[in-house]
Amino acid sequence: MTALPVLSVRGLRKSFGAMTAVAGVDLDVGAGEIVCIIGPSGCGKSTFLRCINYLERPDEGTVRIAGDYIGREPAAAGGTRLQSGRQIDRMRPRVGLVFQQFHLWPHLSALENIARAPIRLRGVDRDEAEAQARRLLARFGLAAKADRMPADLSGGEKQRVAIARALAMKPELMLFDEPTSALDPEVVGDVLRLMKELAEEGMTMVVVTHELGFARKVADRIVFFDAGRIAEMGPPDELIDRPRSERLRLFLSHFQ
Amino acid sequence: MALDLSIIADNAGLFAKGAVATVYISLAAIAAGLLIAFPVALLRLSPRRVMSWPAMAYVELFRNIPFIVMLSLFFYGLPFFGLRLQPMTTGIVALALFGSAYFAEIVRGAILSVPRGQMESARAIGMSYLRALREIIFPQMLRFFIPAATNTSISLVKESAVLATLSVAELTYQGLIVQGQTYAPFEVFLATAAIYWGLTALLAAGFRASERRLGGQGRRGFSSRHRLAARYLSLEPEPRS
Repeated sequence: MTALPVLSVRGLRKSFGAMTAVAGVDLDVGAGEIVCIIGPSGCGKSTFLRCINYLERPDEGTVRIAGDYIGREPAAAGGTRLQSGRQIDRMRPRVGLVFQQFHLWPHLSALENIARAPIRLRGVDRDEAEAQARRLLARFGLAAKADRMPADLSGGEKQRVAIARALAMKPELMLFDEPTSALDPEVVGDVLRLMKELAEEGMTMVVVTHELGFARKVADRIVFFDAGRIAEMGPPDELIDRPRSERLRLFLSHFQ
Repeated sequence: MALDLSIIADNAGLFAKGAVATVYISLAAIAAGLLIAFPVALLRLSPRRVMSWPAMAYVELFRNIPFIVMLSLFFYGLPFFGLRLQPMTTGIVALALFGSAYFAEIVRGAILSVPRGQMESARAIGMSYLRALREIIFPQMLRFFIPAATNTSISLVKESAVLATLSVAELTYQGLIVQGQTYAPFEVFLATAAIYWGLTALLAAGFRASERRLGGQGRRGFSSRHRLAARYLSLEPEPRS
């Protein structure tokens, strides 16, 4: 018997009106595994990511984090039922989500952005939470920025603070939604390096990205999303160097 | 014509009483109106129709009737339902409900003025909807909320003059009384206007102070830049990491 996957998605579907964004996806991600999701824009990869922590409520399907259901769980009478809001809120910190646009809280300092959730949601006392936040900032090369407001940070710094904010809740799984797409080219490398370090430390990660170089170097598996489905999946060199489908070949040709 | 200021001095007591009553009525109505406005706005924002429709109906009902008509309906209509209130109480209730409709729309607009991603990042990390509102959304909506709420509050102070029609002894009513006794409308209403102006100016100043206290940042936005600039300009060495 193998270890329980950190993330286990079954039969996930999500439509917006007549538009199907996610059309039935199954995916298991094991502990410490790095999965990169690539695909054309509008293929449903971001929606899929947001369904994992129920920021979008999927129409069908189940999501489990290390075996525990989030959002929808099997009902005693068969089928599934929606969990209560409180149950979902309690599951969410186990999944860290990093947004393309960072979404730092502009009225709080960098330090407070990181320390607030552990204090309020985990009952960590302030001194301890701030010490942990300072450790994270120092590790990300931002020790001097602890008291800065987000408006005074560069894009790359904001994204590093956002990653620290998510890590402060000690998640079992980190989701990245195009984390470098809003950054200036010269700072993309900083953020990717940081993510690579996280990966090497054994963090389980699902990364929606257009950075094929990063995916090739860091991913254990690449998933090619197309029209709301997993069209192809495999180790990086196999998937990138020997694409099986015409769709993927075409998609990859844009990166040459 | 010459202004006879002694008319005002002789009746200063009545003006003062009226002003106190106007302050009391206005503050009570503003406080109650704001208190009602928050739940109404949150219901109005709900994606579920059973929640948002009643809230919308509430807003449209109280916003679309002239205050004097609404006040008369309350005062002359409620006794038919066995509810007999003092004119003053009726006035405060009516003014609070009237104001709450406007305040609710201001709260709703203020919440919507905060980018969607703010709520999402708060929820994603595990905050409940109400905690996210309190800790993340409210502090950011103040810059939008306070100026608009100031306007509506000033309107309520002025609208409270309508209570004179029910013989509530507020400022305008006292002005009318003094006018009836002295036959000096110009002096009397000039004094009344000046007192209203003073009260609303005070109220606006109060809101500005609360903006500084609550938001801390005011119009400068959430930035530490001015602090940094001050540090650089001070020529003291900038600590480096």
